[in-house]
Amino acid sequence: MAPPGKPITSPVPDAWYPTLAVVLLAIGLVVTASFFIYEATSSKRNRSIAKELVTGAVASVFLGFGSLFLLLSAGVYV
Amino acid sequence: MEAPIRARDTLALALFSLLFFICRSSPLNNLLISNAERRIDLSSHIVKAYLTLKVENAGSTPASEILLAFPLAQAGHLATVEALASKGKRKKTTLVRLEVKPTELPDAPNDAIYFTIYLANPLNSGESTTFEVLYMLTRSLEPFPAEIGQSESQLVIYRDSALILSPYHIKQQTTFIKTPSPKVESFTRVEPTNRAGTEIKYGPYEDRPPYSVSPILVHFENNSPFAVVEELVREVEISHWGNLQVTEKYTLVHAGARHKGVFSRVDYQSRPSSTGVSSFRYLLARLPPRVHSVYYRDEIGNISSSHLRADSRKSELEIEPRYPLLGGWKATFVIGYGLPLQDFLFESTDDRRYLNFTFGCPLLETVVDKLTIKVVLPEGSKDPSAVVPFPVEQHLETKYSYLDVVGRTVVVLEKKNVVPMHNSHFQVYYIFKPIFMLAEPLMLASAFFLFFVACVAYLHIDLSIRK
Repeated sequence: MAPPGKPITSPVPDAWYPTLAVVLLAIGLVVTASFFIYEATSSKRNRSIAKELVTGAVASVFLGFGSLFLLLSAGVYV
Repeated sequence: MEAPIRARDTLALALFSLLFFICRSSPLNNLLISNAERRIDLSSHIVKAYLTLKVENAGSTPASEILLAFPLAQAGHLATVEALASKGKRKKTTLVRLEVKPTELPDAPNDAIYFTIYLANPLNSGESTTFEVLYMLTRSLEPFPAEIGQSESQLVIYRDSALILSPYHIKQQTTFIKTPSPKVESFTRVEPTNRAGTEIKYGPYEDRPPYSVSPILVHFENNSPFAVVEELVREVEISHWGNLQVTEKYTLVHAGARHKGVFSRVDYQSRPSSTGVSSFRYLLARLPPRVHSVYYRDEIGNISSSHLRADSRKSELEIEPRYPLLGGWKATFVIGYGLPLQDFLFESTDDRRYLNFTFGCPLLETVVDKLTIKVVLPEGSKDPSAVVPFPVEQHLETKYSYLDVVGRTVVVLEKKNVVPMHNSHFQVYYIFKPIFMLAEPLMLASAFFLFFVACVAYLHIDLSIRK
């Protein structure tokens, strides 16, 4: 028979996948919205590239994790 | 005189060396089988034989190995050979598996193949021990006639020997052959032979020398489903996010008497007890419990004639191919399902992860001519190795799946001539650092970040021609 061992599960519980997907994507889209609002309302001289890149990075992290949990909750176990 | 003395010395030396070689070259002459009983079950298309041997050590040295011989005609069809010994007193006997290995015997008659059984305790001189050997033969029932019409019954021939082939002297032996129905067309008589209903008894035969054979032939009716899977490819994809996806591709064939003439659907459906008695419509697959997302499709599309019944210990999938299978007809289909990861993936004591899964085909009572199992390990796995209880061929491949950069390592195990006895567990070990699980979300995040950087770049670059 097989040697005894501890079962391995996912680091995030299965039941949380859909909730996490919706929450993370919502936050990511809100930060994306704030990025584009900043781009639209500021003039060329007042724009600070550091703020743009930081907002973009935060938005992309939330959108990245949100889309991962969206794929997992849809059954595409990547 | 010198010359005669030298001649006498060389003669003595030659005699001693001859005796020495005789004593060394026949370890099998020490043992003798006092009672052998063989029961051959011909009810399904897999021939199961149970051999009970009582071996006595008539020599002077203790023996720990016993040889088992099979005729060369059965060599290619032998699927498993197992030996069991009972241990303990009367009420509390437990069965202990003994190791069986194929061996080569260069100085024995070469129309037989040999296996060595290694006993748990050496058999001392004068003692005797009893153990059982179970072996299974596939493709050993020859349909005769080879082609039948729709309304005929299937008759097959089984060839064997009334005397058990053995390198030892057998004092008393009996063979019982069990057929699925009392309808037996003919069988060879080797006195004393008796037939009662579904059982034919050959024996008891007394005092037969080693390697004695007496060929027999039994021609009987066998309408059990001759379901043979010519090729089965099972792919098990491990995802550390909590799922095991199994995809199985089957090529199923009816390996009995070939169907000739027309197939009348009206006759087949209106008189099921007299037409198509050797055909089969349903197949049962036994899957692990807690299975989800089961699909059954072929090249045309989804096949809806299937039922899934699940309980806490197993799940049963009953599938019905698009048409009933008569002799020589084939069907190809794909069955896929998902399983929870924690039932199959474990962490071993030396920090390696291992997958514990069943080898073998989930379809009951089928023979697989060639079985390939591919275990797809997640990206970033290192040092894969497989532990299988019987000999298989292994090699590694690479597969590109979702969100892959370098590809996933695939451990491929292949085996020929697989019977349901091979449905035991095997393990695949590998090393995986949990930090590599972050690679997938970070890849998605960097793709989104690239989009934002492109936006920033577009908004900062001045593309106007006029100032």
